[in-house]
Parts: sequence; C-alpha cells; structure tokens
Amino acid sequence: MSTAISGTLTAARLHRRTLLRSALVGSAAAAVGLRAPAVLGQAKKFAGVTLQGASFASTFFGYLQNYIPEFEEETGMKVNFVTNAFPVFNQRTDLELSTQGSALDVINVTFIYSGRWIGAGWVENLKPFVEDPNLTPDDWDASDFVGGTMASLQDANGDAHGFPWEAGAMIMAAARADLLDQKGLALPTTFDELMNVCEMTKGMERVAPFTADKLHHWNWIPYLMGMGGTVFKDPPANLTPTWDTPEAAKAADFYGKLLSEYGPPGVLSFTDDQSMQSQKTGRANIRTQAITWMVPLSKDPDSRVADKVRYGPVPAGPAGSFPGSNSHGFGIPVGSKNKEAAWEFIKWAVGKDITLRMLEEHGYPSVCRRSIIDSELFKETLTLNGQDVASLYLETLELGGKSGYMKYRTVPQFPQVGDKINKAIEKVATGQADGATAMAQAQEEAVADLKKSGVQIDG
Amino acid sequence: MSTDYTRTLRRERFWLHLLVIVLVLLVMFPFVWLLIMSFKTIDDIFAWPPKWFFTPTLENYTGLWQGDFPASFANSLITSVGSTVIAILLGVPGAYALSRLPVRRSNRLSILILASRMAPPIAFTIPYFLAYRYVGLLDTRIGLILIYLTFNLSLVVWLMRSFFDATPRALEEAAWIDGASLMQGFVKIILPLSGPGLAATAILCFLYSWNDFFFALILTRTEATTAPVAIVNFMNYEGWAWGKIAAGGAMVMLPVLVFSMLVRRFLIEGMTAGAVKG
Repeated sequence: MSTAISGTLTAARLHRRTLLRSALVGSAAAAVGLRAPAVLGQAKKFAGVTLQGASFASTFFGYLQNYIPEFEEETGMKVNFVTNAFPVFNQRTDLELSTQGSALDVINVTFIYSGRWIGAGWVENLKPFVEDPNLTPDDWDASDFVGGTMASLQDANGDAHGFPWEAGAMIMAAARADLLDQKGLALPTTFDELMNVCEMTKGMERVAPFTADKLHHWNWIPYLMGMGGTVFKDPPANLTPTWDTPEAAKAADFYGKLLSEYGPPGVLSFTDDQSMQSQKTGRANIRTQAITWMVPLSKDPDSRVADKVRYGPVPAGPAGSFPGSNSHGFGIPVGSKNKEAAWEFIKWAVGKDITLRMLEEHGYPSVCRRSIIDSELFKETLTLNGQDVASLYLETLELGGKSGYMKYRTVPQFPQVGDKINKAIEKVATGQADGATAMAQAQEEAVADLKKSGVQIDG
Repeated sequence: MSTDYTRTLRRERFWLHLLVIVLVLLVMFPFVWLLIMSFKTIDDIFAWPPKWFFTPTLENYTGLWQGDFPASFANSLITSVGSTVIAILLGVPGAYALSRLPVRRSNRLSILILASRMAPPIAFTIPYFLAYRYVGLLDTRIGLILIYLTFNLSLVVWLMRSFFDATPRALEEAAWIDGASLMQGFVKIILPLSGPGLAATAILCFLYSWNDFFFALILTRTEATTAPVAIVNFMNYEGWAWGKIAAGGAMVMLPVLVFSMLVRRFLIEGMTAGAVKG
C-alpha cells in the first residue's frame, strides 16, 4: 500500500519535473527565436478524425495501403479506405454524391464521371486548399502535374477539383513483333500500314494480327479522329453527335474490318483482361490501348511474349494521331465533414514522396508528376524490352492535354451515348450493317437520348 | 400390330430421352464450365484450344477464403435465411387469413399486397437509400433483411394463399367440432398439409434474397456486403481475377443446390399442388 503511494508520489514528482523541464526548454527556445516543436504544445492535428475514402480497386491502392500506417502515425487520423470493383464504386459514389451524402471524405473522381460530378458541383473546388499556405506548402507544387492528367479534373475556370494518381496513355503494342520481322515489316505508323501489316501477318503461327476489347467507345475514337471525324461537334459547349459523316463511316468500316478479319475468335466479347491475355499468351499480335494494359506484356512473369513485344505510338490517320488519354484523381465530396483532413490525405497520397516511393519500391508506372516522369528512374522503369516507353507515355499525356480532343469523354452524357457507338461497331464488325448505315442509326439514337435529357442539339 | 405400336413407342421415348439429355447438357454447360474453370490456373483458363484435361488446383478457393469473401458469404446466408424465416412467419398466417376471408375483401387485400412487387426495384432505390441513411440502416444486415422482406412477404402471401385455398375447409371445421381452437386447427391440421407448398415458397424466398445484387450493391458498403457483390469486386480495373470469380460463383451456387436437393420432393409437389384445382 505504502509502496504504491510512494510510487505515485515519485511519478507525480517525475511528471512535475518533466513538465517544468519542458516548459523551461520551451521558454528558452522561444527566447532565442526558435519555435518549440508542435508535439510539446499540442496533440497531433487530426487526432480522433476517421477519414472515409473510396475508390475502385487498383494496384495503386494495393501499394498505398502499405504506406497508410505511416500517414496515420504522422497525422493522428485513422484512414478507412475502401476499394471496390470499377462499376460498383462508380454506382455507389454517384448515388452518394448526388444525394450530397457525408459518408465519404475522399473519393476517386472517375474520368468518365468527372464532367458530371464536377459540373454538378458535387466535388469540392481544391483551389482554396492549394492556395492557402497554412494548408499547402509551396514545394508541394500543384503545377508539377502533367497538363493532360489534370484536364478532366478541372472545371470550366481551370480550377482543380481533384489531383491525379493514375494516368492512362494509349499506345500500340505488337506482342508478336517477331512475326513482323519475319515478313520484313516495321511497326505500323499509319492506318494504311496497320491494315497492311495485319493482312501480311494473317494466318502466321495461328496468331491473330489484331486484338481489342469490347469498349469500342474508347478504342475506336482514335480511329474516328484519325480519319478526321469527331464525337461531338464542340464539346462541352455543343454536344451534337457527328457520326453520320463520311469520316465516321470510313472509321467504322476500317475498325470493323480490323476486328472481323484480323481479330481472334470471340474478340467482340473480349473484356480488357481477355484482350491482354490474348496478347500475353501470344495468341494475338497488335493492340492499341492504355499503357496499363501494355506494360504487363513485358513485365509480368507469366507473359510468354516478354522478349518479343514492341511498343510504338498509336498509328496516325489522314488527319493525324489522336491517342486516348485519361486520368483518375482524388477529390473531396462537398458533403464531407472532414475536408481539411481529406486534403491532408490527398496532398500526401499524390505528393512527390509517395509517388517516388511507389516508383522505386513497386515500379508503379502511371506517374502523373512531371518532375518524376523526367527522372532517370522513371525512364529506367519504363524502358521495356529495350524501348523508351517513358517518352511515349509523356508525349501522349501532353497531346491529350494540349489540344483538348479528349474533352468529349468527360461530358456527363458521354457514358449514355457511348453505348450507341459500341452497338454500331458491333453491327459493322458482325456484318449486320456497313459503317455509314450503322453510324447514321447510332447518331439518330444518340440524338433522341440527348434530347430526352434536355441537351440542345443542332438542326 | 402390337409389336409395331411398342416399337413406335420405344422410338418416341428414345427421341424424347435424347431431347432431354441435349437440353440438360445445354442448360448445364455454363455451370459445368464455371466449375471446371474454378479448378484451373490462370494459364489453363486462357489456354487455347481450351484444356479439358488439366491438373486441378485449389488455389482459387484458398485465395477466396483468405480475403473478405467469407464475411460476405456469411452476410448472404444471414440476410437470406433471416428474411425467409421472417417472411414465412408473418406471411403464412396472413395468407391463411386471406384464404378464409369472404372472396371480395380477400381479393382487394391480395391485390394491395401484390402492389409492392408491381414497380421495378430501381424505382425504390433513391427513397430507400435516403431513408436508410437517415435512420442509420445503410450497410447493415438488418437493413437488407427488411428490404428482402418487403419483396418476399407478398410472394409468401400469394403463393401460400393458393395452397390454403386448395385445402378443404371441411378438415379444419372437423377439428373445430372436435374442440380445436382456430390456431390449433391452423397449426395442427392446415400447416402440415401445406408442407410442400411451404417448402417451395421458402426456397423461392431464399433464392430471391440470395441472388439479389441490386439492393446489396446500393445499400451496403463494407460491413454487410453480400457474396454476389463481393464476386463483382474481383473485377479489378487492371484485370479480372477469373479463377476467383469462378470459385466465388461455384460457392454461391452451392447452398442453393444443396438446399434444393434436400427438399426436391417437396419442391415438385409444391409447384404442382396449386396448379390443378379440381
């Protein structure tokens, strides 16, 4: 009993002594113009805050989860970040945002929904956070993000409503470039060359010359634009579809032929993954798709084409080259009750430090910060099978940001009308209709849908 | 003459059997394919031409069991069984009461009960979501049970009512004459006679809840996620975990298959009992 009391008294004395010593050190430091460490004066800023985050599942979040305990330790907040499948996340978040819920503090602003979510004012404007020196240090450097990756995350005034963690840049990969070599052919750089390469390599070793997935409203658009066509007249101001044009018909016929004559069996029902597998197993040769699906061809241990794959830019049509690019970024729902904590998380998750660590420790290739893309490390990571894919990646991202041809994709109505394109391409590829007929029909259906949703259409 | 007739009969039976076998093969093919796929490695899944002989692996099932899937599976079981049991407990007495009410009033009430199934589920999405958020039922098993109950209750009432209609009233009247109360007549005479119908109705309720994707998608987040939604979560942005999707699909089919096999006899009797009313 007495030992316990004596122990308590000793502890009290020690505590008092410690307190006095701390106060003395604090006063002395203040006297010589030094600021006392924050820990002496206050608890961690976000102690007690639980941050609710959500996104679709991606390797990025698999890696990020490893670093989150450090962030929690540093800030005192608890992070509860949930990832779901792409459609599940989008569906749930769309409902949450549209009802101004406060269940989420940090979300992924999905590329195809960015126009809808930002346009409707459901995602917070981050400009005040970036410009506040108390919230964001100068060296965080918001201007370091490549223009193309920011395009979909900005509003009409150019204010950022999100900062990207993932960028997709469309390139071309020939999984069985050895077949081209056997025929003395170079990697195609134009549409005509692409068709010629497919024709010349058809039937070789039972490898399909071309492959794709069924998301034609992403894959086909570079061919449409390459032929001189557009998706809408002038997005986002004028959303009149422009598919009943000779350019669109020609592009549909061209792409339909690639699929029907040179694609592997079942190509029209291929998902992204199936298409990648057809390349990885060496059953199909050329594909134009985002870099995310191309890197595994040379890097995955189970790839059978790692030493045969060759990369190049998306072939150009008569009107030029229009490789697709996209990005996904972190944003804060307007209904969030922990906006400052959310911004702290975003700053950390897409900061230079974490981006660099992800590249160093995991080889994460979808980097959005120019300072890191320009680094030797990035070049080394994206030197695939001896080729400089890093430059290709940066060029594509910049192209999408500069000319703004990707704007068609972030208008809120695109997911709706995109389905019409999918159907039209399927009709052409299965021989049910020629390009002109299928696209004219798709145009008619899209116009009807857009009118129903109150969009002003020309004519 | 008689030999010819037997021969014709045999020939007809042969073609009918063949037709049945072909139909069974057609119907079962996707399920068999899914089951086979669940025991393949990713290389074997994508092999071309497809491999019919391969070294089976359990890696998809073990992978499934190490993640969040068991919790989702448990959620599915709890919500489906819970909603089925409550729907039966509430709906069966209701159906009995409706069956014994005077015809005009009974029909009017029955139509009202059926009205809950007349609108497509999507029509209720936003109201349910907002109400659930307000009362704190989002992402809870109780919330899902209540939702499934709203759909299952009308199903129970309508199906069971037709079974009770087909049960002769004289049986319960005889019980009453012998001194049984209304409840005793119902529990001891009518319910045992309606066993097959009850089994069929319970299976249908269980299936509706078990297979629900839409409400589980909208009204759950992490805690109450059900197995069908968990399977979709294997469709990642950079690639689909085909093996796990197949293994998850097989696991989801399993309880329904086992349950249906156990009560197969009742199911067939129940399905046909209300069909012919003489």
